[in-house]
Amino acid sequence: MVAREKLNQLKEKFGGAVQRADMPCNERLFVFVEASALKAVCQYLFRDLDARYVISIGMDDRPFSGKFMVAHDFAFDQDHLLCSVLTHLPADNPKVDSISDVVPAANWAEREIRDLVGIEPVGHRYLKRLVLPDGWPDGVHPLRKDFAWNQVPEGYDDTREFKFDEPPEGCTVVPFGPFHPTLDEPAHFRLYIEGEMVRGCEYRGFMVHRGIEKLAESVLTYNEIPMMAERICGICGCVHNVAYAQAVESAAAIKPPPRAEYIRTIMLEIERLHSHLLWVGLACHIVGFDTLFMQSWRIREPLMWIAEKISGNRKTYALCVIGGVRWDITAEVKGELRKVLDKLESEWTPVVAAVSKDKNIQKRTRGIGVADRALVKNAGLVGPVARSAGVNMDCRRDHPYAAYDRLDFDVITENGCDVWSRVLVRAKEVFESIKIIRQCLEKMEDGPLQLTIKDELPVGRIGLSSVEAPRGESHHFVITGENNRPRRWRVRAPTYQNLQAIPAMIKDQQLADMTISLGSIDPCFSCTDRMETIDLKSGATKVWTQEELLKLTRTKKT
Amino acid sequence: MSVLSKLKETLVCLKAGRVTLPYPAQAQPVPEKFRGRPLFDAAKCTGCGGCANNCPAREILLFDLCQEIRILQYLGRRCAYCGRCADVCPEKAITMSHEFETGTNSIGDIQQRVELFMSTCQRCGRCFKEPSALEQLKLKGYRVDDVAHERWVFRSKSYLDTEPVVDDIKIEMD
Repeated sequence: MVAREKLNQLKEKFGGAVQRADMPCNERLFVFVEASALKAVCQYLFRDLDARYVISIGMDDRPFSGKFMVAHDFAFDQDHLLCSVLTHLPADNPKVDSISDVVPAANWAEREIRDLVGIEPVGHRYLKRLVLPDGWPDGVHPLRKDFAWNQVPEGYDDTREFKFDEPPEGCTVVPFGPFHPTLDEPAHFRLYIEGEMVRGCEYRGFMVHRGIEKLAESVLTYNEIPMMAERICGICGCVHNVAYAQAVESAAAIKPPPRAEYIRTIMLEIERLHSHLLWVGLACHIVGFDTLFMQSWRIREPLMWIAEKISGNRKTYALCVIGGVRWDITAEVKGELRKVLDKLESEWTPVVAAVSKDKNIQKRTRGIGVADRALVKNAGLVGPVARSAGVNMDCRRDHPYAAYDRLDFDVITENGCDVWSRVLVRAKEVFESIKIIRQCLEKMEDGPLQLTIKDELPVGRIGLSSVEAPRGESHHFVITGENNRPRRWRVRAPTYQNLQAIPAMIKDQQLADMTISLGSIDPCFSCTDRMETIDLKSGATKVWTQEELLKLTRTKKT
Repeated sequence: MSVLSKLKETLVCLKAGRVTLPYPAQAQPVPEKFRGRPLFDAAKCTGCGGCANNCPAREILLFDLCQEIRILQYLGRRCAYCGRCADVCPEKAITMSHEFETGTNSIGDIQQRVELFMSTCQRCGRCFKEPSALEQLKLKGYRVDDVAHERWVFRSKSYLDTEPVVDDIKIEMD
């Protein structure tokens, strides 16, 4: 019992400060601690027990317990344990000790809690607004339960401007984004340049908030959220879809039938294959090697077709409902999928053989965007970025979900810590994914696709789920609630952590390497910026342009 | 310069040849299970409201003119083509068509409106058999969505307090 062991360690160290603990299974541990001991507990978990920081969650629990809540999630990857440290805070003027000086990776999460829930992280060194738009009035927190999902706050000030930090002395400011040819989504980096060298940067993002979490907590119902969850991200949508369903299932102690688990695994791996091929292509495109960009996208195309055949769509598979999946993989599709995999393998092998010896790509990617083990630990980096630094970490093996506990595969790691290693990791993971799907097709049992859920789900239970997205770990935190919907649902996409390390990764590099360094984490800003509760259109010219654009896109092209 | 790698890469390209499809000049068939624009069959629909209650995008509105007439309106604006409406429909009155080139400047091309004659039932008048406990009707009884402003209203009534005159609201006739 690893969970019990960790709990005993905590009890021994902190005694009465540990108020309550839940261990619904051997892989989950929920510890409620006194607010005054929260920081010390997190420090002990992160530094002494060497847990990996996952995310912090702020909650408005006033309608239920009369208090605010803060949770810090940690993962013990070797011990297959996900752990959440929770604390209750008073209803008026809630404050919590900031953990960001002992756990640097919590920087953004605490700023987000302050913005959206209004819990003040005391001792945080950089409390700049992160998530809310610039004109949003102070003291209004959209994720509080007394703030309606469709409310427009009074005092929204369109004219209020974002205040940038002062650049260091001797540096020139070069703006990068919000619209940049290598960024497919808006994000703004204010680079501090000295000559050709980047000395630092300020990030300003969260421009594509969509208010998805708020909608889920106030409007949607359990089985509607998966369709919304997969729209968090255009590339790894199925990951969020599955992660949400699993988080609710884990909270409500529901186990989907085995066939559904295999189908989830297959679809996740198809998604990983398409994403890896897409990213390798994009990375090459960024460094100006368009040949491989086109070839890897060509090789990827049959995967999109088979996904369309299985689920009815190239992307947004709309796969999961609570307790199962919606689409079956028939014998006919099985045969076709095998053929697609064979072709993919035979085409990808020569590409990897050629590219791994290509000096031109290596010149642009070796020693660039370096994230070493220390940075991985401190910034909580995940996925290929961590694996390229030699950190042997993969949620599929460490926190097995769906059918991964019944499958045999290797976790690919490299030791270069740079962009080149990330290219290698992702190029080689393609073969592991092919291996996984083949095993699934072999082992898949007959049976129902969905579990019949006869009763409403229990209320107030916590569920955690970590799913290995192509870019890294996606973590979902759910508290089940009344009215057929969760009370709180927090999504931590991999980019949320990886993006925070960008300033460290581009420091003291050439300006020209900025694009590929950023590209190497495969940033997905829509994932990161999950929420926006307001959409205020600016000047009339802009609206006109938008309409014109719409008209253009709607014109039939034939 | 790694000449061998470049040669190998050239070979990959040559072997692939030209693969671009002549779309949109030539239509591409979609697979059987493709989820395109949902189509509502008025002849099969019983007006149970299951689709409207389980639409993640809230794109299906219900409006009860009176006990006997229910209007179901599909807005087609931000529909995600997830196919949940077709899933939960007990009468299989909704099919996910193969239409996907639905870009238009007039939203009326996509919207659908079904006017249903409802027979009187002693319970709630609308019979929806949910697939699981998670899909059950949260809004029972009479629905009064804001059809004029195309807004879902989070309320339903157990009875219609004033009997509206049919002329109150314009009913489109074919």
